[in-house]
Amino acid sequence: MQTINVLTSAFHRAAARKRMIVFYWFFHTLCAALAALPVLGIAIPQLSHSDYGAELMKQFDIAAIAELISTAGEAGSPAGIAILLSALLALAGATFLAGGCVKLLVRDEVPYSPAEFWEGCGRYFWRFLRLALYFLVPYLLLLALHSGLIRAIAKHYEPGIVELPVIYANRTVRVLILLLAGLTATAADLAKVHLVVTDSRKSLRAFLGSLRLVITRPMTVFPVWLLLALLLSAATALYLAAMHRLGILLILFLAQQIYIFFRILLRMTSWAAAAEIDTLLRPLPPEPVPVPVPVASEPPAFEAGAQQDFTI
Amino acid sequence: MLRIAALFAAAALGAHAQSAPFAKPVASYDIQAALDAKSHTITGQETLTWLNDSPDTVPALRFHLYMNAFRSTQSTFFRESGGQLRGDQFKGDDWGYIKVRSMRLQGGADLTSAIRFIQPDDNNADDRTVIEVALPQPVKPGETIRLDIAFTTKLPMIFARTGFHGDHHLVGQWFPKIGVWETAGFRYSTAGAWNCHQFHANSEFFANYGDYRVNLTVPTNYVIGATGEQTRRTDDKGKGTSTYTFEQRSVTDFAWTAQPSYLREERLFQADRETTAAEVAAAAKLHGIPEADVRLSDVRMIALVQPEHREQTERHFRSLRAALKGFGLAYGRYPFKTITVVDPPYGAGGAGGMEYPTFITAGTTYHLPEDSLLLEMVTVHEFGHQFWMQLVASNEFEESWLDEGFNTYSTGAIMDRVFGPSTLPFMFYGRNLWSDLKLPRISQESADRAIHLITPRRDDLVRRAWEYYDGSSYSASSYSRTGVTLRTMEALLGKDTMDRVMRTYHQRWRFRHPTSRDFQKVVNEVSGRNMDWFFDQFVFGKRKLDYAVGTVICDRVNTARGFLGADDALKLVTKKTADGTDDKQDKDKNFKPEYASTVKLERRGDAVVPVDIVIRFTDGHVHRSTWDGVYRWHKLKFQRRAEVESVVIDPQHKYQLDASYANNSWRKDYNSRLSASWGSAFLFWFQNLLLTLTAIA
Repeated sequence: MQTINVLTSAFHRAAARKRMIVFYWFFHTLCAALAALPVLGIAIPQLSHSDYGAELMKQFDIAAIAELISTAGEAGSPAGIAILLSALLALAGATFLAGGCVKLLVRDEVPYSPAEFWEGCGRYFWRFLRLALYFLVPYLLLLALHSGLIRAIAKHYEPGIVELPVIYANRTVRVLILLLAGLTATAADLAKVHLVVTDSRKSLRAFLGSLRLVITRPMTVFPVWLLLALLLSAATALYLAAMHRLGILLILFLAQQIYIFFRILLRMTSWAAAAEIDTLLRPLPPEPVPVPVPVASEPPAFEAGAQQDFTI
Repeated sequence: MLRIAALFAAAALGAHAQSAPFAKPVASYDIQAALDAKSHTITGQETLTWLNDSPDTVPALRFHLYMNAFRSTQSTFFRESGGQLRGDQFKGDDWGYIKVRSMRLQGGADLTSAIRFIQPDDNNADDRTVIEVALPQPVKPGETIRLDIAFTTKLPMIFARTGFHGDHHLVGQWFPKIGVWETAGFRYSTAGAWNCHQFHANSEFFANYGDYRVNLTVPTNYVIGATGEQTRRTDDKGKGTSTYTFEQRSVTDFAWTAQPSYLREERLFQADRETTAAEVAAAAKLHGIPEADVRLSDVRMIALVQPEHREQTERHFRSLRAALKGFGLAYGRYPFKTITVVDPPYGAGGAGGMEYPTFITAGTTYHLPEDSLLLEMVTVHEFGHQFWMQLVASNEFEESWLDEGFNTYSTGAIMDRVFGPSTLPFMFYGRNLWSDLKLPRISQESADRAIHLITPRRDDLVRRAWEYYDGSSYSASSYSRTGVTLRTMEALLGKDTMDRVMRTYHQRWRFRHPTSRDFQKVVNEVSGRNMDWFFDQFVFGKRKLDYAVGTVICDRVNTARGFLGADDALKLVTKKTADGTDDKQDKDKNFKPEYASTVKLERRGDAVVPVDIVIRFTDGHVHRSTWDGVYRWHKLKFQRRAEVESVVIDPQHKYQLDASYANNSWRKDYNSRLSASWGSAFLFWFQNLLLTLTAIA
């Protein structure tokens, strides 16, 4: 019940920030366009005035990809560089935007304004960047763990001639790693939120504290992540089921962008849910109540010409 | 040996009363072999009967000892392959070897001390895969000698075709096997010599035909399969072993397998049920032969399947049925009584996808989806080697395209016709994502062309297997590029002619050893055309084929200006007058302006072929012509009251070898739907990729 409440509340927080969502979508779309344009720049000029393009529209031929790669020649490298650069830009930009987004999702009483948003982006950029770098460590550890376990399974079953146990073992490992990745992602969200809530610069402390939190309170944070993951899976399945039935290109494009918007909404909801969980699990210490302090007697008024006695 | 001779004589009279003659046995083997399943060692004794079927006097013999390729990292095979083949890596210390314990001429000298290792290909002194034995008396022309050879073979771990994994044993290339004596005029030989290459990373077979009788002793709990027909079984309860006898005439090799947990299933390919009268009649008509020569024979199909692949058993038989019928109708009936397909277990994938006479290995995975035709493709392909390798025994060491490539071409035709295009098995928790995402299915034809395009053309099709630029060049040339080359030839000659070419070549060289030049002769003869230009450029050369539409210019023809008319009646048409006329015509809705159109076609590759050209105009007029393709470019000019609407070179995609289909055509209209569709798709997938990536930010 608590999970549903957290998610409902988080969803409302996120949905209230429509302009933020649009901006986040716009930024990712811009980066995606930067990556896509060079690739299209190779494919479209070759095919837009060719019958082969029309043939591929009717029935796509896998050999066309090989043909494009083989005929791209020297144009292939700039396209690859453009994709790499757009990925780096997206990473840096998303870190920057996360500051403004998390700030406004945490402080939902503050009305949206560009000034508030950009202030958050700038204010938290370096903290979030450090945080992202710290979180690379658990992600890399998970990758290593995955690779190690898969190898261990292969080695364990190597002498055998039956594949089924290997398949089940590998599936189990993948589920485990996925869950751990989910917990890590939740920890990253909690860390961001905590940095904003406490207005702290201590990214390392937030990183360690959030990891400790998800480890010690998994039953509070994990169901939220699980529900969000299920929502994303459902949306993906819905899109995949519908994509080949959407005959009109414009409708397909709209469906694609609705799916992208939904993904962004889920990301915002995830941050907002972290804000809700943070309030539950790490309530801020109460404001100190002013304690009456006895007022000292007034010192004697200093009079000009009076001599102070320094003797003890 | 007398017993074997009697047996084969009886078989020739009765059991094998088929129209296809069998081969003259040159190298026949009578082998007794016992498997020690714990040490994975085979103790064997073979009697080789070798006929000097040449006019030469042969002073020494040469033998392959293939299994020594797995003796150490110093063998030529290991040096070339780096200890890996087709993605499978050698691991651990389970090396393999073969030792010849003794060699003796029947009723004659002990030759053991005369054995010496030789390295005819690369002088690698550490390679021990070929031996030469000097004979005390040379073998005279037409003379037959018999040798008794005792040997021990230790199987390696399976990673390259042969060996053991757990209690699974796939035993191929395992006994001392004599090379091929090539007299002058035989294949490319100019003088009598042995053709007995070392074992290389990318090479498999070349051997004479012979009759085999093999007794295999294995633990009684093992299920066994082998080349040929099982004719006898005796059990030794005391030792807990069973001895199986397998016999097969007119084959070039013998392989077998043993594993306790195999599921052994048998089905009968009933030729009359599998083929219709119409199919037989059509094939007979196409090839101009009696229907009796087309009709197929019944074949006993045996599948040795892993228990966890039980549900795929029928897929093996379905594939064999398609192959027996497809290859049989196209090239001639499969003349043997059995075909055995082996499904190697998990961890023994290196033994999969291999061909031996009447015995093939396939390959699958647990719960392979029905729409992923990997199993079918491998089974049909390996069966195809019964035709291109076993029945037509070209030299795979030296001309691998003649078996792997021909088989790729033949397999592709059957797969695309019978099974259709396939998905790839991108399995995710029991789901095939390739199907779920509705990604385009892949035909064999398309897959071959993709590999041809993506692999740099560094070698001619015909090279010795170990002399290609690298493994991928060997693979692309020997398999996919040959498939594309033969499909291009098919498009040029016409399907019926190509079918006749292939059947004629197969029938003419059945149970013989042809070369690439022999195939070329058949092509020219059957097609009635000189196709040497094709062979020179694409088989014995590595020319790049790429024809393209260069530029298309359509200029409106305006009213002429200047002094017009005959010399004695010159009339000056001024710019003003001409412009006025043009303006007037522009306003007239019924006026059709004239266009001067220039179409420039380019040859961008170094291959020269004739190409068909189709040019369509906006008024519906169609211009068709053929360009000889010799000069670097070709210019066509038109003056019509219509603009050029489209230009197409090779409209039927005859030349699958073409480096680009995209530049083969030009159309006036910009395909905005393509741009929009691909643009939105690319954008969407990059959006998703970036959103996934920035989840860590």
